[in-house]
Amino acid sequence: MPSDSDFAIRVEDLSIRYRTTYETNATLMGALRKVGRGERSEKRRKVRVVEAVKDVSFDVTHGTVLGIVGSNGAGKSTLMRALAGILPPTEGRITVQGRVSTLLALGVGFNGFLSGRENIMLGCLAAGLEMDEIASKYDQITEFAELGDFIDMPMRTYSSGMYGRLAFAVSVNMDPDILLIDEALSAGDAKFKEKSSAKMKELCAQARTIVVVSHALGTIQELCSDAIWMNKGELIERGTPQDITASYLRYLKVGESAITMEDV
Amino acid sequence: MTLPSAASRELYGTVQVFEPHRASLPPMGPYLRELWRRRRFAYELSRTTQKAANSDAKLGSLWLVLNPLLLAAVYYLLIEVISQRSGGLPAFLHIVIGLFTWYFIAGCVSVGASSVTAGGKLILNQSFPRALLPLSSVISAWLRFLPTVPVYLFLYGLGLLLVSASSGPNGLVRPTWALLWYPVVMCILAVSGFGLAMIFATLMVYFRDTNKFLSYMMRIWLYLTPVLFTAEALKLKFDHIIVFGMHLGNVMIYCNPLGPAFGAMGNIWDKGIPPSPAMLIAAVFWAVVTLIGGAYIFISRERDFAVRL
Repeated sequence: MPSDSDFAIRVEDLSIRYRTTYETNATLMGALRKVGRGERSEKRRKVRVVEAVKDVSFDVTHGTVLGIVGSNGAGKSTLMRALAGILPPTEGRITVQGRVSTLLALGVGFNGFLSGRENIMLGCLAAGLEMDEIASKYDQITEFAELGDFIDMPMRTYSSGMYGRLAFAVSVNMDPDILLIDEALSAGDAKFKEKSSAKMKELCAQARTIVVVSHALGTIQELCSDAIWMNKGELIERGTPQDITASYLRYLKVGESAITMEDV
Repeated sequence: MTLPSAASRELYGTVQVFEPHRASLPPMGPYLRELWRRRRFAYELSRTTQKAANSDAKLGSLWLVLNPLLLAAVYYLLIEVISQRSGGLPAFLHIVIGLFTWYFIAGCVSVGASSVTAGGKLILNQSFPRALLPLSSVISAWLRFLPTVPVYLFLYGLGLLLVSASSGPNGLVRPTWALLWYPVVMCILAVSGFGLAMIFATLMVYFRDTNKFLSYMMRIWLYLTPVLFTAEALKLKFDHIIVFGMHLGNVMIYCNPLGPAFGAMGNIWDKGIPPSPAMLIAAVFWAVVTLIGGAYIFISRERDFAVRL
């Protein structure tokens, strides 16, 4: 039994709920109208509570590559944001040991009018790196992203593949202890995909911890040493990637076809 | 499984625990340390954002100076010509430095208000002290304010050459050591600006129409603050009205979070004397109140922002 300090991530009875109102945008006028109609009371307000994650507990030891599978709306991205400390838990507790680097579904907060070089600097600074650290990382990142001359061009001129490559290069080269990757592995062409999976294996070899969310079950089977399956916010099953993808596919009532194994 | 290396083992010391919270403050020690550690991010964000914003305007940053100058001309016409008061060049210069300074505060408020909602992507993807975003707006406002200072000094110098005699009520005051108080007043205003930016950024997350009201609110605030006219003019106009045993003019200046600072500014530039202690104390008081109030409102709710965006 590993001791407490061997856990990179420990999630205990985690629940995340958020309230969404029917109005798409909260506006002052809307609030005033509600006051006017006397709708301040809890009963009448049109609030729907979304239970994105329900009572989930699991541990991840250092050096594990954990894959998370599940249908759309299973709460995978919400869970990832909670692990990164972006979304606060409603109940339960998350303990994370080590420096976290994120590569989440929305990409980095890059500004399209700035060059790749400036965006790398901003991304690293937001992640808490010092200027001298960034200077030393800079070559690693540009070399990894293979952008060539585009590095000094505004990012609005980038193709989506180049954009994804840069985002991936920034997050893996931060020397994270824990890397959170949400659906970003489809960035780039076949060659870059191979390179990124090699980089991830290298990180694992250094006992870094990686959590991957992917619909590409092939990626999960190939990269991960451990996997969990989430459905409608609940953790259904945890096991080896082979077992988990098999049960997930049984649930979906489709066999292992070329489509489910490929990056879609 | 490979064991963690000694170096990375050391890093594992950085343990973070995420737990549920109500609208309350996170541990302030680590928060402020982290905020200070990432101050460079706030600076680079404002520098690069400004660069990006100017990338396709032909006159670019020239507008930072042109805008308040043209506005000063408009207000000068409005106040001096239409109301048939002849303040001459000194009055024009008062309006110019008043508006340059006011533009700094208005910049803090308006850019700060949308700093969180505009930084949505960044907030959803990275975990960092969110107060960095309004702080970056204050830095932006500061970077935009700085080039207007030499422009004013040029106009002031020109004025000194043209209006030779500095006697009489309409005379232009020669530069004195009191001018050194101006940077102090600007620092006090920057603190207020940071507080106000945090307040309006939080409001904006909950009510998206805040920025629609904001431009009108700032305009009314401008008229209630001794920017276009002097604190003395305001007192002269309203001091005969007594509310709760106090002169209305004084109430208008001292109950306005920006009033004392702009009053102090008037002393410095118009009369060439240091700000009165009362105004200085009131200005510092308001700066501290807006900073602490704004920080409390913002930081106690910032963990809720990711859900609201």
